[in-house]
Amino acid sequence: MLIVKDLSVERLNKKIFENISLSLTPGNITILKGKNGAGKTTLLKAILNIIEPSFGSIYWKGKLLKKNLYDFYNNVTYIPDTTSSLKKLTIKDNVNIWKRFFISNINNAQIEKALKTLKLDNYLNKKVGTLSFGETKKLEFLRLIIENKNVWILDEPLSNLDEDSIELVKQTFEDHCAKEGSIIFSSHQNPGIYVTEEMQL
Amino acid sequence: MKFLNKIIFFYYREYKLNISGIQDILTNIIFFFISIFIFIFSIGPDKETISQIGVGIVWALLLLSSTLSLRKFYQDDFENGNLLIIHLNGFSFGFIAILKTFSHFLFVQVPFLLSLPIACILLNIANDKLLYLFASFGIGSLTLSCLGSISSSMNLMNQRNFLLGSVIVMIFSVPIIIFSVGIINMEENFNSLINILFGILLIVFAINPWASGLCLKLSLENN
Repeated sequence: MLIVKDLSVERLNKKIFENISLSLTPGNITILKGKNGAGKTTLLKAILNIIEPSFGSIYWKGKLLKKNLYDFYNNVTYIPDTTSSLKKLTIKDNVNIWKRFFISNINNAQIEKALKTLKLDNYLNKKVGTLSFGETKKLEFLRLIIENKNVWILDEPLSNLDEDSIELVKQTFEDHCAKEGSIIFSSHQNPGIYVTEEMQL
Repeated sequence: MKFLNKIIFFYYREYKLNISGIQDILTNIIFFFISIFIFIFSIGPDKETISQIGVGIVWALLLLSSTLSLRKFYQDDFENGNLLIIHLNGFSFGFIAILKTFSHFLFVQVPFLLSLPIACILLNIANDKLLYLFASFGIGSLTLSCLGSISSSMNLMNQRNFLLGSVIVMIFSVPIIIFSVGIINMEENFNSLINILFGILLIVFAINPWASGLCLKLSLENN
């Protein structure tokens, strides 16, 4: 499905990483591990075609990513290491915007169920800016469910999450993989999430 | 159809954001009117003088007031990662620039347009000039939004010096002000001057998606 071959990225004549190869097939979970500044976010951005690699190539469904970019974008959800939900708006508003803007086929009952699972159902009318960092992070996972795409690219999804929330993430990942979805995420460490490939940067 | 829906709901998102931050829009309008009062008090009670330079004052203040909102043009969406998420939802960076420019025009410039009649009463601008002022501001403000998009996207790459973007907008808006004020003071040349203004708009509108799109891509790349 997604193949990264001998990828190297250089910025300001400094090598960030070199000769990275990985493949992401349906049902697979890949973790990118490494210290701060190791190039995890850079690699994710290179996969998303935001950063131009100095060497190597990326393929999506057998074609060069650049030639098949919008099909790739139709199949990918990206969660950045920042909070992408709109802080001035309530959870309800954010959910409505995501549902409409991403033309989601998820129905309201499924969203309510997800909100309940993430323990956010009591804060529907609360502004996102007033939530704790852990709660806003959980809200990001709701976007994954609403967008309902095959490939999830997640930058530090586990940071600031408590043990219960990490258990929820594990369950969400397993459910997604069971539906032939694939995940690539970056993290400093792996708190027991089942992964099919581990890459140290 | 799917793409059209995405555009509609992009504006729904912008509408929700602007309504939740309506105090920013009101602050701009209040700044505009307080500045008018300061001009009136500093010039004195001579109605003729105020009337003569009134259009120039309105245009200068509209320019200053609209530059106040430039910082928010792309900054929030850039910092919280939404710019990238919108791009991944199938919008090229150039197209995002066009959408954002219209959003700025709708939610920042149109409120000024609606408050123009009150400004005209305060500055003793003749009623028959109001139509010309509306026409010139309609075209000129969209041009300012395009320039604002370019300067704000450039600012994303230069986070240390916000004023640089405002300076760029001001330099390039000089011809817009010259022709816009000219329309009102030289009524017999209305068609030729409005055509020149429209020409400037088309040039800036054509450059905007390329320049802004490239700046957005580079700033995300270097972030």
